[in-house]
Amino acid sequence: MKPLPSTSSKTPVKFRMPTSENLVPIRLDIEVGGQRFKDAFTWNISDPDSEVSVFAKRTQKDLKLPLAFATQIAQSIQTQQTEFRSYKGQEMLTGEKIVPIKLDLRVNRTLIKDQFLWDLNNFDSDPEEFSKTFCNDLGIEDPEVGPAVAFAIREQLYEIAIQSVATARESRNAKKGRRGEYSSISSRSTGAALDLMKLFSNRYSGVRKRKEWDVFEPMVDMLSNEEVAALESMVEKWRDLEEA
Amino acid sequence: MASLEPPAAVTPPSSKPNLLPLPSPTIITPSAAALAAVAPTTSSSSPATLSVATPLPTPSDAELVHIPSYSRWFSLDGISECEIRCLPEFFDSRSPSRNPRAYKYIRDSIIKQFRRNPSSKITFTEVRKTLAADVISIRRVFDFLDAWGLINYSPAALSKPLKWEEKDSKTSQHAADSPAGPSSDSTPPVRETTKWLCGSCKSVCSIACFASDKCDLTLCARCFVRGNYRVGLSSSDFRRVEISDEMKTDWTEKETMQLLEAVMHYGDDWKKVAQHVGGRSEKDCITHFIKLPMGEKLAGSAEFGSGINKLNQMKDDNSSNSSSSGKRLCLSPLADASNPIMAQAAFLSALAGTAVAEAAAQAAVTAVSKVGHGEANAHFRSLHGVQGLQITRALRRQVMSYVFLYSDASITSNGSNKLKSSEEARSGVNTMPEEKVNVEEELRTVAMVQMKHIQEKIIHFEEIDSQIDKEWKQMEQMRDILFYDQLNLLKHERSIRKTGQQAAEGTRAG
Repeated sequence: MKPLPSTSSKTPVKFRMPTSENLVPIRLDIEVGGQRFKDAFTWNISDPDSEVSVFAKRTQKDLKLPLAFATQIAQSIQTQQTEFRSYKGQEMLTGEKIVPIKLDLRVNRTLIKDQFLWDLNNFDSDPEEFSKTFCNDLGIEDPEVGPAVAFAIREQLYEIAIQSVATARESRNAKKGRRGEYSSISSRSTGAALDLMKLFSNRYSGVRKRKEWDVFEPMVDMLSNEEVAALESMVEKWRDLEEA
Repeated sequence: MASLEPPAAVTPPSSKPNLLPLPSPTIITPSAAALAAVAPTTSSSSPATLSVATPLPTPSDAELVHIPSYSRWFSLDGISECEIRCLPEFFDSRSPSRNPRAYKYIRDSIIKQFRRNPSSKITFTEVRKTLAADVISIRRVFDFLDAWGLINYSPAALSKPLKWEEKDSKTSQHAADSPAGPSSDSTPPVRETTKWLCGSCKSVCSIACFASDKCDLTLCARCFVRGNYRVGLSSSDFRRVEISDEMKTDWTEKETMQLLEAVMHYGDDWKKVAQHVGGRSEKDCITHFIKLPMGEKLAGSAEFGSGINKLNQMKDDNSSNSSSSGKRLCLSPLADASNPIMAQAAFLSALAGTAVAEAAAQAAVTAVSKVGHGEANAHFRSLHGVQGLQITRALRRQVMSYVFLYSDASITSNGSNKLKSSEEARSGVNTMPEEKVNVEEELRTVAMVQMKHIQEKIIHFEEIDSQIDKEWKQMEQMRDILFYDQLNLLKHERSIRKTGQQAAEGTRAG
């Protein structure tokens, strides 16, 4: 386990997912022939590459998709893997980073809207545990929601981690060039997180104000079949508009 | 971080009974219970032959989930050694996400999901979608459970052969996990069927076999050469086992008679015995002699007390005589290549299990030390009970014969032999009725046990009955009370109304 860096340091840390396991969120959106396959799951980056083709074949067989999907799936996974690995050697800044994570997803018939704060510094954090507790507490029966929630959290953490790599790079360049402007650059890009911290430090207690309660409360809604159909057709229309 | 202790028990859902029928649905007597694990040896040696060994599930038990007998170790409450062996990456704390707790979570969710609908096969993708974990771990656990028949299992095992073929084509790293799993757990192939089955390709080994003591695995020559074994093994862990031709040829009666004669004459001198029989090597003679049925072998001896001493002496001789066996890895600790009888005994004792072998050996020794053949014989027969396994019988025969042989060697006179043989003939007759009595006794105990069961049930039902009676009486009392209350209320109502009317008349009048 990585030892947690002290909270006030801005020492750069090797890039990794800020969670207890180095799992990468993979999103698949493949269209072959007339069929579209969308999927999202977590992948362990330390697994050997032979697993990719095995997994792709397995998925294609289980879902009875045409053969062309297997290669496409494998390719997509591999590109995302290499992308993750390209960040691997680089450093990222982990200052005091408490970031808001937003959940806004629809899984089969369940709609989830939520917002909460996540500590980027905590490398022990576990989105899977969070999603398990989330589903248990809210009594969500659909077993597919859990992984979807975990995936959404992971995706957002991933994006933030990538951003912090970028900022680290910038700050490094800035250091080489002009020393004085270092802090301003970093604060500009990580403005959102830092503001939150300032917000916290001014309070006497960690309790939120009443008016903010609604914002941070999870909302779970079950849709009926017609609503689901309506939503999906709307999404399709938007997509066609975008592509056209 | 990851420890090997099983995590806290998770209570299985009470609505889903997950017990399975044992392959032989007979009454389990105390003696048979211990042997039940040994009896279906053929079924435990390979899942491919499973369809023969297990009966098809009756369509009436829709709630029962069936799993094959070689997966009997499985329990939802903990993690067994077999799982630790087959999926080591979860237990060696190499990666923080792969720990026993995560493994148990994945495994339990897969199994629960499958058991929600046990008649339909569950696919990996369905499972994967519902689990919050990385997909490779899920896939590994899923494959493991599938290979062991804990999910997607139906007795008409269809896809089993496919799995073996698939695995053969992969690298040994990934391939050796599942196929070696079930086979490495199997007992060594039963020699009594005179066939060795290869652990990974399930073919009959004809020429030569390679057995590994490290993990109880047997491979045919092809698989050994191909390197189709588990990750932890290397080629030096295997020893070569030649299949002798003797097992395939049968002994004629004439040859058997000659053998017996020779043994009576020459005792322990197997060279002369082999010469006398003609056409058979020493080893063949010895192995066949051991397999002979019991009555013929009791060549007798007068001094039983010396029998035990002889046994001990002989054991010491053996250990000093062991020539090349030290270099070879043996299937069992006692297996001594230089002394074939001992090796046979050791092998069979390994098959039958330590407890059984211990009991058998002890019985043999005590029997021999007692006076008279008859006693020893009866003692033996009463020991192995109604379901008399061939293995234990052979084992005891062997030890007996061994002891007799060596105590025999001390006696040279033929005269005493003749005396003994007539004694033995008499005692042979005496044991018949005794056996009958024993059979009856066993049946009696079985019936007793069943009756006790029924008695207990009756008592239980009687208790329930009396409880229900009590409750009924209480209900009746309640009803009565309520009735009285009702009556009272009505009375009061009437009286109040009367007084009310009177008061009203009074005010009107006044």
